[in-house]
Amino acid sequence: MRVALEESGKLALGLLGALVLALALSALSVPGAAHSPRAFALAALARLLAFLRLDFGTSRITDLPAVDMLASHVPVTATLIALGALVSVALGAPLGLLFGSGGLRRVAAPIVQIVSAAPVFVAGLAVAYAANRFLGWPPGAGPFPGPGELLHPDAQALRRVVLPALTVGFAGTAAIHVALRRAAAGEQDQPYRESLRRLGLSALEIDRVYVAPVILAGLFSSLGEVVVAFIASAVVSEWVFRCPGAADLFVKSVALGDWNMAGLILFLFCALSLVIAFIGRLLGGAILRAESQA
Amino acid sequence: MILRQISRLRGAFMIAGWSGLGLVGLIVALGDFLARFPAGHLHAGPALAPPSALYPFGTDLLGRDVWSETVHALGVTAANGAAAAVLTLVLGGALGFVAMRLGAAPRLFLRWLMGVLAAAPALLLAIVLIGLSARGYAGVAAGLAAAPLAFVRAFDRARSQSRSRRSEYARATGISAATLIRRDLVYEFRGVFLSTAARALAAVAIVYSTVSFLGFGAEPPRRDLGLMIAAAEASYLGAWWTAAFPALFLIALILFARLAAGLDEGERA
Amino acid sequence: MSGVLVEIRDLALTRPGADRPGLERFSLSLQRAEIVTLLGEADSGKDLLLRYLDGSERCDGALGSVRFGEGEVLPAGRRTGLPFRAAYLPPARPLPLSPRASAASQLSRIVARKLECPRGAAREDLRAALARIEGAPPFDQFRRPAESLSDAALSFGLLAAALAIAPELVLCDHFFDGLSPASAAALCSALRAERARLGFAILYAASGPQAVARLGGRAIVLRQGRIVEEGDAEHLMSGQTHAYTRSLFGALPQPLSPAPQRPTPRGEPLLQVYGLLLQSGGRKAPKAPSRHALNFELRRGASLALLGEEGSGRRALMRAVLGLERRPGRIVFDAVDIGLLSETMMLRLRRRVAIVTGADDALDPRMSLFDTVDEPLRAHLRLSEDLAAGYRETALKRVGLHAYDGRAPVSSLSPFDRRRLQIARAIVAAPLLVVVDEPLRGLDAIAQTTIRDLLAEFRVEQQAAFLVITSDFAIAQVLADEAMVFSEGKLAERGQIRSLLSAPKTEATRALIAAAARRPLSPAAAPV
Repeated sequence: MRVALEESGKLALGLLGALVLALALSALSVPGAAHSPRAFALAALARLLAFLRLDFGTSRITDLPAVDMLASHVPVTATLIALGALVSVALGAPLGLLFGSGGLRRVAAPIVQIVSAAPVFVAGLAVAYAANRFLGWPPGAGPFPGPGELLHPDAQALRRVVLPALTVGFAGTAAIHVALRRAAAGEQDQPYRESLRRLGLSALEIDRVYVAPVILAGLFSSLGEVVVAFIASAVVSEWVFRCPGAADLFVKSVALGDWNMAGLILFLFCALSLVIAFIGRLLGGAILRAESQA
Repeated sequence: MILRQISRLRGAFMIAGWSGLGLVGLIVALGDFLARFPAGHLHAGPALAPPSALYPFGTDLLGRDVWSETVHALGVTAANGAAAAVLTLVLGGALGFVAMRLGAAPRLFLRWLMGVLAAAPALLLAIVLIGLSARGYAGVAAGLAAAPLAFVRAFDRARSQSRSRRSEYARATGISAATLIRRDLVYEFRGVFLSTAARALAAVAIVYSTVSFLGFGAEPPRRDLGLMIAAAEASYLGAWWTAAFPALFLIALILFARLAAGLDEGERA
Repeated sequence: MSGVLVEIRDLALTRPGADRPGLERFSLSLQRAEIVTLLGEADSGKDLLLRYLDGSERCDGALGSVRFGEGEVLPAGRRTGLPFRAAYLPPARPLPLSPRASAASQLSRIVARKLECPRGAAREDLRAALARIEGAPPFDQFRRPAESLSDAALSFGLLAAALAIAPELVLCDHFFDGLSPASAAALCSALRAERARLGFAILYAASGPQAVARLGGRAIVLRQGRIVEEGDAEHLMSGQTHAYTRSLFGALPQPLSPAPQRPTPRGEPLLQVYGLLLQSGGRKAPKAPSRHALNFELRRGASLALLGEEGSGRRALMRAVLGLERRPGRIVFDAVDIGLLSETMMLRLRRRVAIVTGADDALDPRMSLFDTVDEPLRAHLRLSEDLAAGYRETALKRVGLHAYDGRAPVSSLSPFDRRRLQIARAIVAAPLLVVVDEPLRGLDAIAQTTIRDLLAEFRVEQQAAFLVITSDFAIAQVLADEAMVFSEGKLAERGQIRSLLSAPKTEATRALIAAAARRPLSPAAAPV
């Protein structure tokens, strides 16, 4: 209970910080705010009062309410991250567990480095090139399918979604893999592993009962970092594959000086990362507590 | 036996990494001699000519020699990456250790602020910073954007050290906080300075080249590897060499930096 | 219940990758219910033999032969598992169980695997074994995570798990190391009592002669893989043939007898403690004086031992004295009331304090040898480089580390060398007060002798006051004149060590004296 309260406090402070960051950016959209610190402070205060009235302003590019803009773009990003997460869990978790411990860990280290040395945009372009060359898929064009279409996708919708989701998935796989390997590295040379074997337990039993929960808890505790990797890869993936998502909107907003929109999207991403990190830490803690009471 | 031999290769990988970075440095230093054309030289040859003896990396849509352009762009990326890595090390790593030994109020405030900033991807922070300043400062922005995460890691490491028995032993014999900061800075960085710097270089090179790919990096006619790859988007499906060679150089730079860091688990970017 | 349990002939073992055998021409005939102690330093081959027997070390090129019980003689290289039930008893540090998981759950699992029975039944066997062992904590205490148990409690749990499987052979791997004499004595008598009941043999790997003294039986002294000397514990205790054996047994303090009368130091008081309460949580002094309040003083050049078991309050007192923890009461150090000092001023005062502790993580592992010794000089005084180097060289010479590479990191040193480095650091600090906290913990026999001698020499030459925290009366006898005996967070008894030894007044003191009196136990340890 005490841990949950502490973590909730940390989350609240983190969200407050993200809100301050968003307010500061949003204030820049007020004319004249950049002229003096006083003008900036007054603009930030005005934005805060507006936020409290749930008035999140308008987009400078389209003149539409910022919330509406966000609502129309977020589903694309959410779809990419969700599908990418599926790919990552399917690939990253087994690979991380396979290459994360024992001798294979050392063997895999250089391979992991080589594979993950490619930035996401290079990986995205490579995926697009391979799909075009070997499957004959044209470069991304056309509207991004909505949730309804995704449940019963046609070939066009599938082509539109698979490549960006795969790119996000590969980046997420690398992040999950690194988190698992880091957690496994902490348990790698623990003296109890050898002692328990000499006391009579098999290596498999020790790994299954005592090592695996710690690695899993480590992965959950690193969920915040994994989510950050997903968001960063979504930014690149939406750009490369021309997907009209929130990340793509963020890049365009900053490029065109639409600071109100950029501030809102940054707050959304920070809040997502903070909340997932909070849940991850709670779950990680719960796993360790369950192990201690087993 | 095979596994043991492979684990011994760690030292060899580090040597390979540093040799690779040395090679990058050499290419950058001798860039004007190695490149056949100055940066941004249009119509050096026919448009989209494939790799040949005359144009080893081929030419791009505007007839620029991809080899010459790649060599020049590598110099821009490496220089910006190095500057960004120094910023990350100083404002992230070093400041994290120092902040941990400050008084309660500044310590907690800095940890909170950096924790919030580290919750956003470094890429987005870099984009915001460039948007607030100018595109010419993309390297600085990448360094500043990667600093919060480095700060948080250094701070948390220093915190766990301050709770260790050796810290209490030091305090019990009159060793001051200033001496403990000195210890952290000297030993943490003296022992692992080179590998930390190489790791930071790998992380910020990714951030820098990505913001550049998104159009927030070097300003034409000055081009870096990210911008070269972005420019190749229009032609790479038919002329793979326009994107592949700059991408390979970029991957090599990041890989060498990671190998030099001792096959570390890699930084987030 | 007689006969040979393990017969080893001309065994030669080489670790994979090693260029020379770790054990050579080793022969042993271990009878059922016999106790054999393998005594030697880290590279003596004792650990390798234990690993070979429990199957945890692959020694493909093993030479010689081995026979178990009445079975056939096997080539040593072809040996698979032990054909009878054997238990392994590791030391409590490093933690042999998963730190976060419940100790009871792990120990039950071990018993279940060994007995090939359900875990519920194994748990009941473990509970019954614990209940049989005198002085063992109750079973419920083991439901906690292993890392939260004391070393002594964990050792009792490990012993219970070993006994629950009714073994024929118990392989003890430095089982008593790091335990206080009282805990080690309690575990030793439990082990011997159960051996008498169950009739198992004990093969004990030890780095110091204390185990030989406690367990009795037969001892084999090993050095660099070869047997140096062998014989009954009683004979070895009374006289050793080989010089190496003599040096090992030199670590064993002389049987406790009243210490020689030392002149009482006449210096000014260095440390004065008035009305200090160890059991109170708050910082404010209670209105009425408590009968548990501590009052004592330590004069310059004097030495006071704080004796007691883990958790008895000795370290709480030390932390209060150094101002690391504020407690109700008044402490005057070097004529300054530390309760009135800010943290910065307290740091200045603590510059005249040096600490030598048995914890190997007290020094910064990243620092070099030179920097570790220099640091008090650099941090506290503005000495020239040459002058500081001179002090450093002198200190390193005194502890025997002057030939080492001064730029090597502390992490590359052995526990013995780290302990010596702490003493060198203490020497250059020219302290008024030296706190010595279980200085011999975890060291092998020869290292214990060296550290004890260095500390005794340091005390004589430096004329600093000593506060010695220990659970071993024998160490207190060497390093201190007076002692305060603590029990359950309270002061049980105080006085000259001489008087305490000759006429102990409390049960706590008597228990500590009894635990430190290491007499050979061979009559009781003879085969049953």
